[in-house]
Amino acid sequence: MSTPHRRAAVGAAALSLALALGACGGGLKEGSSSNDSGEDAKGDIKLGMLTPLSGSSAAIGPYMKNGAQLAVDEINAAGGVDGRKLALTVEDEACDPKTAAAGAAKLVTAGINVSVGGYCSSATLPTLSIFGKADIPMLIPAANSADLLKSKLKNVFLVNGTGIQQSQAASDFIKSKGSKAVALLDDNTSYSKDITTRTADNLKNAGVAVANKQSVTAGESDYSGAVTAVMRAKADFVYWTGYYQEGGLLIKQLRSAGYKGDIMVADGAVDKKLVEIAGQANAQGTYATMTQTPATIPGGDAWIAKYKKAFGSDPGPYSPQAYDAVRIAAEAVKEAKGSTKGEDLITALEGIDGFQIFSGKLKFTPEHTLSEGGFDILVVKGDDFALNS
Amino acid sequence: MTDPSLPRDPAGTQLPPEESSAYVRAVETKQPANVAPAGTGLTPAAKGHGPTSASRVVSSPWFAVAIVVLAIALPFIDSGAYTLRIATDALIFVMLAVGLNVVVGYCGLLDLGYAAFFAIGAYTAGLLSTTFGWPIIATIPAVVVMAVVGGLVIGAPTLRLRSDYLAIVTLGFGEIIRITANNLDITGGPNGLFGIPDFGDFGYRSDVTIYWFTAVVVSLAVIASSRLGRGRLGRAWRFVREDEDAAEAMGIHTYKVKFAAYVTGAIFGGLAGVLFAVHQTAISPPSFNFLWSALILMAVVLGGMGSTPGVVVGALVISLLPELLRGAENWRYLVFGVLLIVVMIFRPQGIWPHTPSEPASAARREPDPQPEVTA
Repeated sequence: MSTPHRRAAVGAAALSLALALGACGGGLKEGSSSNDSGEDAKGDIKLGMLTPLSGSSAAIGPYMKNGAQLAVDEINAAGGVDGRKLALTVEDEACDPKTAAAGAAKLVTAGINVSVGGYCSSATLPTLSIFGKADIPMLIPAANSADLLKSKLKNVFLVNGTGIQQSQAASDFIKSKGSKAVALLDDNTSYSKDITTRTADNLKNAGVAVANKQSVTAGESDYSGAVTAVMRAKADFVYWTGYYQEGGLLIKQLRSAGYKGDIMVADGAVDKKLVEIAGQANAQGTYATMTQTPATIPGGDAWIAKYKKAFGSDPGPYSPQAYDAVRIAAEAVKEAKGSTKGEDLITALEGIDGFQIFSGKLKFTPEHTLSEGGFDILVVKGDDFALNS
Repeated sequence: MTDPSLPRDPAGTQLPPEESSAYVRAVETKQPANVAPAGTGLTPAAKGHGPTSASRVVSSPWFAVAIVVLAIALPFIDSGAYTLRIATDALIFVMLAVGLNVVVGYCGLLDLGYAAFFAIGAYTAGLLSTTFGWPIIATIPAVVVMAVVGGLVIGAPTLRLRSDYLAIVTLGFGEIIRITANNLDITGGPNGLFGIPDFGDFGYRSDVTIYWFTAVVVSLAVIASSRLGRGRLGRAWRFVREDEDAAEAMGIHTYKVKFAAYVTGAIFGGLAGVLFAVHQTAISPPSFNFLWSALILMAVVLGGMGSTPGVVVGALVISLLPELLRGAENWRYLVFGVLLIVVMIFRPQGIWPHTPSEPASAARREPDPQPEVTA
């Protein structure tokens, strides 16, 4: 009975050994990176974007995709980069590390030259090494956890302001409001907790008391536990650093529990949906820390009109950053004299100085973050966020 | 041997008396096609009499060999980064599913927190390799130890109880592990661990090396689980699943036997965790949520509980279908869900259900006057 099994097993072992030893597949050898497209300097410049098109953050995906597409269309209409067209491929990351990693591999297989995507930090982390091994520079428009930079990978550039800048803006604003007891709430994701931790440190240095700092579980519908803790701490300022889904519910439940103080949210929660979920009456006057957007900078109206004309809807969060990421990628190819090799592009990106993007003049710091990237304070007026004056 | 010409009432009520013993005879003469003549759910009664040539092909050991060889040869056929990525993901999922199959399929213990062992494996390997700088291979014994400890902690108190309690406790255990990982500083909190090294430099591209390593480990795991299921312990597991009291009465130490199944499942899950950590290079708590436990369980049920080839097929379907549906964007999981429901309506017993293979030898042993002694 065991004879055919044994023979089969031996056969399998021998056959696989033969295959492995006689490995003629040159493509499997080390160094034969999938990004061989650096050689065909004549073809399209391929850009890849990972963005959530499904899952809890699916609302953001189209904003980023359209923002990038707008830049691609503009550059192509103006003759491309030295006569070469840009081509954009979008894959779903679903805010899930495994899906994001598979999407990244799909983009690598498609032969992209530059990655201009990345929304959720925890989903972007596993893609770093995939793009890194394929020698593809990454211009990350949204994800901004400090962890993305901890491995000190050469190919990673953050186009969004980081938690350091955001928490500075938040603590400055909280101090200016003269708050006595601050409650800091995060959803225990890397992005969110990074900001609350830094804000707490800043506030402590500024002499503002942090009455309550807690992490809530994302994806729940009842946050009465968190609300009770805030009420008991007699907080007069609540800062939520998670995403809009839970943010909306928290605002609603805080207000119905009789909370009278100020509420502020971080950039992940800046979306019309927040107002929808919280209810317009509850959300009125909610502040937000947000990177500069076309809606908040002078002369941004023209850009919004262009976007509206192209896609029939208003730009949303991270549309401008995605737009900028594509423009920076095109600029880098131009600076690298048409080369799409990873190291040439990285050198070119590090050398860019004074290129105009929404958040100011672009120059990457040695850590590959923006050297200047102001955060604005927004406030809910009506059904959307507007610049706080 | 059943005579196919015998008249059979479609309702199955007025069967001639010989027909009932024919059922037993059918089992004994290894004709699984005749075992369930009534059919279940919406499926028609089994039509086949005796193994068809197709089923003879797929049940031959050479078929399994062909699959293994094909799996190992995949990088020669298509070495694209995407293909290898989803193939490795799928193989890791196969490992998880055959591991859970030991617990749920063989022994009938409903484990709703299987991702906990997956997380224990991934975090142990990740922590030892990043924080303490161990080579990833060296972490495997530690992972096995941690998985066994996890299995002991949960299994020892709960396996004395009935299966329903185990389901609730494991459900809690899965969440406890995930939330603990989310709140401890050493596990990187919500950020998780990143920069996990791979198996080393063998002159091949790192994703090819990882794929081959995974393919070999998973093939061995599938063979091991299949052989475990056919051995003495495997039969004891099935007995416990069918009737725990009867098994105990027949002298099977049900607690020990259930424990063996649970700990075996834990080890499989832990090893899959190592492969996952290496493959992802970054692990964070959301990768080990309840959805994962549910998906692994779904692979087992979809494939056919207790059937190794079925579970492998089920795992491949569950793992690859969402990737193949990538184009559907936000509709992806809706389509995925609908397809699963369709499969469960038309194949409630699973894609490739388990067919008992022991009766042939049992029948041979039957006339043996020496009664078998059970330990």
